[in-house]
Amino acid sequence: MVVLGMVILTSLAFDFTNGFHDTANAMATSIATGALKPKMAVALSAVLNLIGAFLSVQVALTVTNSVIRIQDSTGAPDPRLTANGGSALLLIVLAGLVGAIIWNLLTWLLGLPSSSSHALFGGLIGATIAGLGFSAVKWVGTGTKLDGVVGKVILPALLSPLIASVVAMTGTWLIYRLTKKVAEKFRNDGFRWGQIGSASLISLAHGMNDAQKTMGIITLALIASGQWHDLHAVPLWVKGACATAIALGTFIGGWRIIRTLGKGLVEIDSPQGLAADSASAATIIVSSHLGFALSTTHVATGSIIGTGLGRKGAQVRWAVALRMLVAWLITLPSAGLVAALTWAVGHFIGGLAGAIVIFAILVGCAGYMFWHSRKNPVGHHNVTDDWDARAEEVLPIEAEQIEAEKEVVR
Amino acid sequence: MSQLWLALQAGVQVLFAALLLGAGLPAIFALGMRSLAYGAGGTAEVSVTATPHPVGKVLAVVCFSVVVVAIVLGITWIVGTGMGYSLVFDHLIPTFRKK
Repeated sequence: MVVLGMVILTSLAFDFTNGFHDTANAMATSIATGALKPKMAVALSAVLNLIGAFLSVQVALTVTNSVIRIQDSTGAPDPRLTANGGSALLLIVLAGLVGAIIWNLLTWLLGLPSSSSHALFGGLIGATIAGLGFSAVKWVGTGTKLDGVVGKVILPALLSPLIASVVAMTGTWLIYRLTKKVAEKFRNDGFRWGQIGSASLISLAHGMNDAQKTMGIITLALIASGQWHDLHAVPLWVKGACATAIALGTFIGGWRIIRTLGKGLVEIDSPQGLAADSASAATIIVSSHLGFALSTTHVATGSIIGTGLGRKGAQVRWAVALRMLVAWLITLPSAGLVAALTWAVGHFIGGLAGAIVIFAILVGCAGYMFWHSRKNPVGHHNVTDDWDARAEEVLPIEAEQIEAEKEVVR
Repeated sequence: MSQLWLALQAGVQVLFAALLLGAGLPAIFALGMRSLAYGAGGTAEVSVTATPHPVGKVLAVVCFSVVVVAIVLGITWIVGTGMGYSLVFDHLIPTFRKK
């Protein structure tokens, strides 16, 4: 029961990090172009995420099925894992979530937009390998449907930034071409409105897609421990709690990531902001309609790069893009590794004590990273300051050295 | 290998649909902006001496309406899917159908 409580708390914590990690995907460009004031942008995004989360009436309980084998096709947990109040399954889920949260916080500290769903899947995969072995992971799907780690996670991640950047590039080129004879001030005012609209669509779709995953996981934990029996519905309080967690996270705003996406990658103007946001919104909505689930983060980043490529004279900071790419590549294995280690610690201490220890590790790591972030805080007040390549395209530790050097010079 | 093929197929579908919506609609929006500037004349256009053309305003309204309708349909679709309905176009009229 205590372990179940910790799983639920950790799931909600993940949902919260998911929210603030992804605020940037919808709002970075609107904030960067000045279409919305920073605080207004996060508030709007938070409200739309909340609405989106509540709108997801049909929640699939089979979230984990595409990558690991701890549930059957109806969503019921594997009976071998439900003995003893579901402790085996709860430990895997708890360790997986811990891995995902720690990775999410670390990339946030570095200001890198990495995919929260990759972190979640990576964490679950790592904990499953540690707990049940390699064969419990569905690596490559078989048959005529996209499935498994390769089909559902890796291939979409490779394609999505490409698709989004082509769309954004085309949109940007068209917009600049069509409005060549329109005065700049007039044009920017108009495009800001369009941008707010498309950014809102992204937030709504995000709330719907992402809060669902956590709802599914909490319900799975409840079923495994015998607290819930309906395989076709999610308890209302779970839905409310997840919706609130993701909205609160969004409202807090991952300012570091917003800064990287909005200011670091490309210097964007209002028309580019509209092109990027429309490309993201269209790609996300179309792909989830076709059942080809893409990560909002990869799409949004691809769009912003695309809009930099589509405008003559705009420059993409490839050093920043390269850092992001590296972060994407290592998100899945890193979250998995942390989760596997966490599982091992929890398993060898065993029982309730094990779960408490890994929960404490999570709280400790989160606290440390938060404390570290206060050294060079990024908030709504400085999120749109000019980008200083020397100080920001480095690790925080080096940034501190650069700051120290500046002090000496002064 | 079949997974790669499936992903590419899905990717191409997404690409074309997203191009139509994600680049097409902003282009119509841009066209609306252009028409609005044409309609307003004066400082709204690059050449400051431009004269106002009322027809531009009408065109702008048409363009913006297309965009707004598309967005409303988009939201309806998102909401509908969440509720377990899918939006289908019977003879171009959007209707809901229970999945």
